[in-house]
Amino acid sequence: MVRVKLVNVVKRFGEVVAVDHVSIDVEHGELFTLLGPSGCGKTTTLRIIAGLEYPDEGKVYFDDADVTNLPPYKRNTGMVFQNYALWPHMTVFENVAYGLKIRKLPKEEIRKRVMEVLRLVKLEGLENRYPTQLSGGQQQRVALARALVIEPKVLLLDEPLSNLDAKLRVEMRDEIKRIQRQLRITTIYVTHDQEEAMVLSNRIAIMNNGKIMQIGTPKELYEHPRNLFVASFLGKCSIVKGVVDSYTGDEYIVVRVGSRKITGVVPASDLKVKIGEKAIAVLRPHEFSLEPLKEPFNVIEGIVESTSFVSSHVEVKLKFEGQKIIVFLDPEMDVPPGSPLKVYVPCSSVKVFPAEMEEAAYSRELRY
Amino acid sequence: MGWSLTKTINTLRRELDALTSFQVVISYIVLITFLVIPLASILYKAFAGSEGFTLTFFESMFSDPRMVSPTPNLNFIVVEETPYYTYIGIGSKGPNFGIILNSIFVATVVTIIDLILGTIAAFIMARYDFPGKSIFRILLVVPLLATPFVNAYVIGKVLGRAGLLNLFIQNVLGLKNVIIEIAGLPAVILIQSLSFFPIVYLNALASFINIDPSMEEQAENLGAHGFKLFRTVTLPLAKPGIAAGATLVFIFSIEDLGAPIGLSGAFGHGLHQEVMSFYIYEQFKAALSLELVDPTVYAVAVVMLSIAIVGFLAIKKYISLRQYAMLSKGGRWNPRVRRPEPWKTAVIYVFLILLICVAAFPQFGVITLAFTDWAQSTLPTKFTLEYVQSLFEKGEVQVAIRNSLTYSILATLMIVLVGSSVAYVVSRRKVFGREMLDVLSTMPIAMPGILVGLGYIVFFGTFFAETPLDPFLYPGTLLIFTYTVRRMPFTVRSIFAGLQQTHVSLEEAAMILGASRARTFLTIALPLIAANVIGGALLSFVYCMNEVSTSLMLGSLDDTQAPITYLMSKLIYGSAAVGTVSITAALGVILMTLQITAITLSNYILKQRTAFLGV
Repeated sequence: MVRVKLVNVVKRFGEVVAVDHVSIDVEHGELFTLLGPSGCGKTTTLRIIAGLEYPDEGKVYFDDADVTNLPPYKRNTGMVFQNYALWPHMTVFENVAYGLKIRKLPKEEIRKRVMEVLRLVKLEGLENRYPTQLSGGQQQRVALARALVIEPKVLLLDEPLSNLDAKLRVEMRDEIKRIQRQLRITTIYVTHDQEEAMVLSNRIAIMNNGKIMQIGTPKELYEHPRNLFVASFLGKCSIVKGVVDSYTGDEYIVVRVGSRKITGVVPASDLKVKIGEKAIAVLRPHEFSLEPLKEPFNVIEGIVESTSFVSSHVEVKLKFEGQKIIVFLDPEMDVPPGSPLKVYVPCSSVKVFPAEMEEAAYSRELRY
Repeated sequence: MGWSLTKTINTLRRELDALTSFQVVISYIVLITFLVIPLASILYKAFAGSEGFTLTFFESMFSDPRMVSPTPNLNFIVVEETPYYTYIGIGSKGPNFGIILNSIFVATVVTIIDLILGTIAAFIMARYDFPGKSIFRILLVVPLLATPFVNAYVIGKVLGRAGLLNLFIQNVLGLKNVIIEIAGLPAVILIQSLSFFPIVYLNALASFINIDPSMEEQAENLGAHGFKLFRTVTLPLAKPGIAAGATLVFIFSIEDLGAPIGLSGAFGHGLHQEVMSFYIYEQFKAALSLELVDPTVYAVAVVMLSIAIVGFLAIKKYISLRQYAMLSKGGRWNPRVRRPEPWKTAVIYVFLILLICVAAFPQFGVITLAFTDWAQSTLPTKFTLEYVQSLFEKGEVQVAIRNSLTYSILATLMIVLVGSSVAYVVSRRKVFGREMLDVLSTMPIAMPGILVGLGYIVFFGTFFAETPLDPFLYPGTLLIFTYTVRRMPFTVRSIFAGLQQTHVSLEEAAMILGASRARTFLTIALPLIAANVIGGALLSFVYCMNEVSTSLMLGSLDDTQAPITYLMSKLIYGSAAVGTVSITAALGVILMTLQITAITLSNYILKQRTAFLGV
């Protein structure tokens, strides 16, 4: 078990800065996730920790040892690749035993430990198969077993679930969580799937354009996003533009949108949102309800523009002061396009950011 | 600057592990010693006079009417009336522009012909489906089967005064008093066009097959079809491959010795000998030691080298090793193949059958020569095994076969060692000089063999006299090295393609688990690309056996150390002796058999039809 520390790591590929002054500090036994859209530098950061890439600037430490220039084969990490990287010319047993053979363990010991780890990942009885004879989920488990069997200081997982179908992904996600908590091994996990990150991680670093946007527990990130990118990347949201009207005494901020007002909170203390200046309110579609709430709330009245049925809910596009807000409602609700709709949303769930952050918003279908 | 120096040292220490250092060093040593320096020493010789730098050799070359004729002879066709017959000579009395211009003229015409034939054939094979296609696919590459000299002899035998063509004209057409002769440069052009068109064909075919079908489908979707589609989308996308093939044909034509020597067997002396390649070879053979060589030879060699380098740079611009790998990946999509309408099918059949009949004729002629008495008469009259048998009886044949096998096997072992190093470094490592290695290892494809051979004699003959690398004492040893360098591209390409298709994470996974680079290379990379190593090595081996130009240059220095191809040239050249042509043909049959076996095996192992470059 080891603590992994990156200090001001920079990696350039030609003109592109893939990793831009990244500093992270991963605790003993922690599951730490690098989360971000594709091309944000998360995989490169992981490969720098593995020793597969070397940083142009900055340092990498395992506990107090500087490993910045150590080749990958001297770092004693275990890594699971996105494509699993199982060797097709070796059986499951040989794949898993490879790292132990390099460590020159006696034959019986190798056999014992391979069998143990195969039991851990629930693959007993498949040791003589070749990787091509296994299903995607089984291949995944072999890759995990191969990384774990050497008892690595750090476990590195590069989008390990992205090649699995949706159902298997959930199953393996829980499996990885179980094994990680059981072995208490320091783990760094790379993914672009925010739900996966939320479920698995002790802490998450959200990355964009090679930079770290924010580090925190899933709850912290969700409730106190430090910037619009983090707020818009975690969970679906609508973005409404307006002008700051006033501050209420109890830490709420009122944003004027056309002739109406939306009350929300500024999620981080270092954000400067001044009265009279432009601001952006972020509303999450599943926070809406049809009934007034006990806590302070906003009333949003709009015209239904379109609806679409998404199994667990109905997604309603609402026209509000010339802007659009997405609202999730019960699937039983019948709201024909063109009809007026009145919904309620708690003030504490509306996050307000200064308008100059607009460019930083993570663009996806729910950004309007 | 302190930190950047430590950074450089850190980088070097990381990247230059034991395996990489070994691979980089051995690759550079072999390629520089046995390719770059010998070629450079020709340059030196051409510009070094007794008092330093000089251009006198070039001046004398360009003012020599034999080299560049100020009054070129343009008599493409001569007609002579005698009391007994009418003689029509095509090429026998001209044209003649002088040796240098002749070579360029021949190469240009050959390239244009092959460009047209090869591209049409490739397009048909890539886009149409018709009965018997798989047979045509095989027959179209038959001309690549190496039958050095004998194929040219066969053509000469058909087109000469007493050949099949005149037999046909006199007896079938009934023109008893007409004699037609096709000789000189037109004969060279004919032979080279026939034997080189598969190079354009294979490269064009690979390019057509590798075009993503959605590109053409999108164009059709937008309304393009027929020739418009071909001209605006298909051809531009296939152009790099086709252009590379055509450039190779140009270079191969310039350096070819097979046609001039083979035609000398059929016609004796004549205009077919007035080309650069033959001139260099002849001058060298005539001189008994380095000091007696006319320095103009080096000037001519520099002209040839310049053409080859320009050509190579052009190919390099179109295709690097990286793209080669892409080219051989074929068949990822549903290919766009369709059944043509009946009238089109008919046109396709006529075109392909005519092309194959003419182009594969020399190969079938060689087989006929080997197994019948055709060499002694206009038409073969009886089947015989005596020439094949004599292969096992003649001492010099035995020696030549043993020499060829020894050199080729040793060269193949070196090729595997160095070739896998080059391919691994170029594809996987980011060390300094990797790009250069890519260039140097592909270069031999385009470098004329006679120049490499000439360079060996100049360089090793001067600086390694009385050592095991002395070309006058041990030409055989040098042949191993020249084979290694010249035939390495086949193996490098094959291994490189294998590495490109093997995800690098397979090796990274091993390193993460603690395997050093060397161990990763041996236990992960090599087993995964074993098929590519074997397939490439087989191709390299068979092309070592078939190697002509350096074999002739170096083989001529000592008959007892000479390989098969040298013996063949010697037998053909002095073909006055009865039966020698047939024995050469029998040797040609052996080479063909070897080649077919190796290519079939290699294709089977590699499970793909690679666009091998031939010759």
